[in-house]
Amino acid sequence: MSTTRPRRGLAAVILLSALVLAVVGAAALAGCGSDASAGGEASPAASAASDSSAPITVTDGAGATVTLQQPAARIVSLAPANTEIAYAIGAGDKMVAGTSYDDYPEEASSLPKTGDFANPNVEKIASFNPDLVLAAGGIQDKLRSKLEQLGMTVYVVDPKTYDGVMTDITNLGQLAGSMAQAQQVADAMLKAKDEVQAQVASLSRPATFLEIYSKPLMTAGGRTFIDDMITLAGGVNLGATAGSGFPTFSTEVLFKNDPAVYIADSGSMSQPGDISKRSGFAELTAVKDGHVYVIEDSIIARPGPRLAEGLQELVKMIHPEAAAAQ
Amino acid sequence: MTRLARTSVWPGIALAAGVFALCLLVSLAFGPASLSLGEVWRFVTSGPVPGDLPNAIFWQIRLPRVLVACLVGAELAVAGVILQDLFLNPLTDPYVTGVSSGAALGATIGIVLHVSNLPWMTVLALIGGFLTLGVVWMAARRRGRIDIFVLLLAGVTISYLASAVVTVLMIRANQDMYAIVYWLMGSFSGRGWQDVVIALVAVPFMIAPLFFAKEMDILLQGEKRALELGVEVERTKRVLLVTAGVLTAIAVSVSGIIGFVGLVVPHIVRLLVGPGHRSLLPVSLLLGASMMGIADLLSRTVIAPNEIPVGVVTTFVGAPLFVYLLRRGRKG
Repeated sequence: MSTTRPRRGLAAVILLSALVLAVVGAAALAGCGSDASAGGEASPAASAASDSSAPITVTDGAGATVTLQQPAARIVSLAPANTEIAYAIGAGDKMVAGTSYDDYPEEASSLPKTGDFANPNVEKIASFNPDLVLAAGGIQDKLRSKLEQLGMTVYVVDPKTYDGVMTDITNLGQLAGSMAQAQQVADAMLKAKDEVQAQVASLSRPATFLEIYSKPLMTAGGRTFIDDMITLAGGVNLGATAGSGFPTFSTEVLFKNDPAVYIADSGSMSQPGDISKRSGFAELTAVKDGHVYVIEDSIIARPGPRLAEGLQELVKMIHPEAAAAQ
Repeated sequence: MTRLARTSVWPGIALAAGVFALCLLVSLAFGPASLSLGEVWRFVTSGPVPGDLPNAIFWQIRLPRVLVACLVGAELAVAGVILQDLFLNPLTDPYVTGVSSGAALGATIGIVLHVSNLPWMTVLALIGGFLTLGVVWMAARRRGRIDIFVLLLAGVTISYLASAVVTVLMIRANQDMYAIVYWLMGSFSGRGWQDVVIALVAVPFMIAPLFFAKEMDILLQGEKRALELGVEVERTKRVLLVTAGVLTAIAVSVSGIIGFVGLVVPHIVRLLVGPGHRSLLPVSLLLGASMMGIADLLSRTVIAPNEIPVGVVTTFVGAPLFVYLLRRGRKG
């Protein structure tokens, strides 16, 4: 009897481990499956929206069809990027509420608040009686159904590319009835992109690492608009080898790949001085050649019109020679 | 008890030292940069060579990280032994004293104030940990003696309080939320020689409890009995509590909050070598270091170039092992 007991214990242990693994596996799969189409897409119906009596229909960043009977007059934004887009396309006067982190343009910071980016308050949102709610992807995924149950119309801004941001901008232009100005904003973004493309077209593409956070080391992976912008700016994003989203990244692998350019998002709180002082970092090519930079978070990590500025900054960091020749 | 004291503790300690040496070697030999064993050996013999990138991977990235992981594992395991036996409570881990939550609060304040990452975050975490230890200490002090029961409750209370403040700061400082969450999760990513130095400060505090092994054995029978047997109970408690607090504060300040090692390693070691502290303390120290070293090895290699949070690995490795040993241990 006593000899069977340890074996039963072992069986229980194996069962327990299998259960844990199954749960983790399921969670990982669910995470993979939740990626929707990249960026919003304008539907054909939307382009015919010049007739003011026809409903406006666009496809948002989550792949959902968003329809308004008439241009939105009361807009609530749940992300600083969305707020920036609304003001840029001339719909600032239609904004009735924003988030606690809205800081651009300056007048956006005095908007009434719905809460913060991670915990928007549904009741509070409803109290503004909006006819259009601009949500973000990822952390706000679950919010959509709650808001729609309450009868609100939700557009999710969740672009995976630079062009996706432009699409979101024109889509919001249609929804807010300010298509002309939205098109101007998108055109300016396109112009910046084309100029940058011309600058870097014939240049080599240095390996570039973008630090989102340092402890643990995190980067921008593939299928992010940051990855897309690094590519547009003529670099090769090391982080793209580590999967999508914002993954942790092995310091040893960073060294093995020895990037020529090291850029920290200002949200990481890193300074070029700290980065070069980290254990072993003096040996990195980027540090030896002085190609260590900090880029302002809001122009590279906020999917709004200022990504054009971010793109130009990135070129200065990845290809200083091209930017200087301009 | 007397029979225990007479048995030699050295075979157990030597075996644990062997396990630790093996774990240390394995942790140093393998990593996501896949240096060959030959290369690793060459780096070991050549010492650090400036200007050689693979050499820097070994000497500046892998070695300090492995050392920090092992030191933190040892610190948490020793603190766990002390606190479980002082509180006579098997559920105790180093984090119940509130020191870790205090350290977390310190680090969070650092993150929110955007102090630069190195080394001020660690220093603020240390200050937070020590301040909490002081507050809990004062709460538990009554007429010159420390009430262990009050200390435990005060620790848990302060711990909740500090966590609540961390949550408030997290909500207020949305942009830094991820930084705080990742700090709280614990990690050895990006730890360098600076962190080794801080973790090494704890070494005297890991050794000190060994000189109180006999007192700790007797204290297992309760404070009253220990007094009758002539143990200087209050002095012993003071030294041990401060020691455990310092160990926890230092461990948490360099690594963040990593669960399970401080709770489970002491239990595993008790099942292996019994409750006598002359072997329980050193064997826990060595196996705590081993377990954390291996957990971090898995954390940095299994899904490279990504990393698994090390706290997840300690739980995955530790939980099945612990359940197995518990079942086996009950047989005897």
